[in-house]
Amino acid sequence: MKRILADAKAFGKQYLRSRTGTFFALAFPVILILLFGAIFSGTGSASLAIYVQDLDNTPASHTFISALNSTQILVYNPIPADVNITGFIRDNSINTALLIPRGFGDNVSRAMLLHDQNASVTVTLYGDPTQSSFGIASSAVEGAITGYNFFVRQAAPVVHMTTGQVSERGAKYIDLFLPGIIGFTILTTPLFGMTGICAEYRTRKYFKFLATTKLSKAEWLAAKIVFYVLLMFVSVALILTAGVLVFHMDGTITPVAVLLIIAGTVEFTSLGMLLGIFIRDSETAAAIANAIGFPMMFLAGSFFPLDLFPSYLKTVAHFLPLTYLNEGLRSTMVLGNDSVALVDLAVTTGIAVVFFIIPARTLSWKSK
Amino acid sequence: MTDLAIEVRGLRKEYPDIKAVDGIDFEVRPGQIFSLLGPNGAGKTTTVEILEGLRDPTAGSAKVFGKDVTKEYRHIRERGGALPQDFEPFDRLTPTEAVGYWSALFDRKIAEEEVAKNIETVGLTSRANTQGIHLSGGEKRRLGIAMALVGNPDLVFLDEPTTGLDPGARRELWGLIRSLQTAGKTVLLTTHYLDEAEQLADDVAIMNKGRIVARGSPEELITRYGHGTTIVLAGAGQAGYDALQARGIAATVENGNVLVHVDDPSLVRWTLAKVASIEMPLKEIYTRRSTLEDVFLRLIGSRMKEGVLAE
Repeated sequence: MKRILADAKAFGKQYLRSRTGTFFALAFPVILILLFGAIFSGTGSASLAIYVQDLDNTPASHTFISALNSTQILVYNPIPADVNITGFIRDNSINTALLIPRGFGDNVSRAMLLHDQNASVTVTLYGDPTQSSFGIASSAVEGAITGYNFFVRQAAPVVHMTTGQVSERGAKYIDLFLPGIIGFTILTTPLFGMTGICAEYRTRKYFKFLATTKLSKAEWLAAKIVFYVLLMFVSVALILTAGVLVFHMDGTITPVAVLLIIAGTVEFTSLGMLLGIFIRDSETAAAIANAIGFPMMFLAGSFFPLDLFPSYLKTVAHFLPLTYLNEGLRSTMVLGNDSVALVDLAVTTGIAVVFFIIPARTLSWKSK
Repeated sequence: MTDLAIEVRGLRKEYPDIKAVDGIDFEVRPGQIFSLLGPNGAGKTTTVEILEGLRDPTAGSAKVFGKDVTKEYRHIRERGGALPQDFEPFDRLTPTEAVGYWSALFDRKIAEEEVAKNIETVGLTSRANTQGIHLSGGEKRRLGIAMALVGNPDLVFLDEPTTGLDPGARRELWGLIRSLQTAGKTVLLTTHYLDEAEQLADDVAIMNKGRIVARGSPEELITRYGHGTTIVLAGAGQAGYDALQARGIAATVENGNVLVHVDDPSLVRWTLAKVASIEMPLKEIYTRRSTLEDVFLRLIGSRMKEGVLAE
């Protein structure tokens, strides 16, 4: 343990004394959150497809659908009235769908025209609550319902929504970027850092030099993990501070989020060393890190919810380790769904263990 | 046989396209400075790295303090320190931090005073708090030696410690290497500098193409393979050469100088008097004893500059 701490301390000093390393680890994510915050907290926002099965098919239900469309977040897509909605969702890989029941128009008419205090109707939002877009859709539908109720009966509730598993917290679109940026930082800082370090240690023959000491490869990797975990906590604190102070983002660091940050850092620090097995120089390191890191940061939904992706890219995303980190962080930090986040934590931890064991056993400090 | 610091027998290291080390034997006694001397690619570093436990030999045996390097290299780490070839220290650590860090990797709890003493040993006290990136080439190598010494090793491997340094820095490092021997340590020094081996080594193995082509102390090698004494007629040129030829004296011309080699020491005075009596244009006349450079030229057939053999 002393050797690990000694190596982590020495490595940390070198890292933090390098202005480039410090910038990319601490300042760059903050710049990124400010940049995305500026883009997405204003008028511009991405749209989300919502599928609606209108079993009522009356002027009242048509008006309600118009209210959904007017949120500028939701884009209406119809589901035929003669199909089973849950089957349709499953068959078409749809994340969010809304059911408007029969009798919708009758209840609205009774409320509007007869001022019937007992008139009430419930629409149901179906979907996979583990997907971040479900929270967005839920918030948007709630907003549309509020507006519609106001139109129908001066805000007295006529239309209600039920979801069954939807998050306790409503999520703004911008909130989803917070865990995305954290996931992005946990991917890039250790991954790019470790591939570069492996290249430097190989070209400058530090591995050979270290091989003459009692430090083992596993200890060396553990030391890097210790440092990067500490660095990521500092980085996350800065990201949260910037996001909350400047854009009033909603994100809570839960115990599960802490565990995800640790597991994700272990995962991508180890992946960097795993790639380091094949790296011979700094040019190769940059090429490999870019080739792995850049597609993953986009395809794993760091910046855009996976639900906005075509279905084939969604399939690809499920093979990327960052996907589980991003989704887990979103589930626990934004949607408040720890039970789902724990599944992502388990996957992330499993991958981290595999990524740690392979280089710790196979990377050779000896020459052939 | 445990009274030997190093014992190498029939050591081979083969790759698909080359025999890097081709069946070498040597031994090093405790307290010696032993030098592996040869051009780049001779097999020096491969041999050292096998001894350090960093490479596995193809065949043969190598023992350090009686321990087999392939099976018991952990024990060797207890008693050996190493300065790798082309050593560069960590850019952002000061010598004080680097030595403290390195000692922790040997499980040695080292006090600040001991770190300072270690740094003083290699003459870096005034630069103790300067980051590695700002040290000169010689200072970096000194720091490398300081790091190699943190485990207080009995044996120090120095792989081309002065390569790329200016003459002044090289000579300063020579003093440091001698002080290691004075402190009772055994030093295995690889170099392609002939003067370095001649100045420092008690025992020299000249390597070429994976083989040891000659072995002995510098004096023994010079006596055995050198030209004895050379009379140098500086600036005599072709005219001087022709004049000597006319008197039946064998000579060679090198860089405008005429060289007369005298193998038998008893004939030096007589030959010098005879040569000096011959009229020829010259700048000066002096004698020069053979060096390892002459030995190398005779054994390998070409001169060596910065580790590269001349065509």
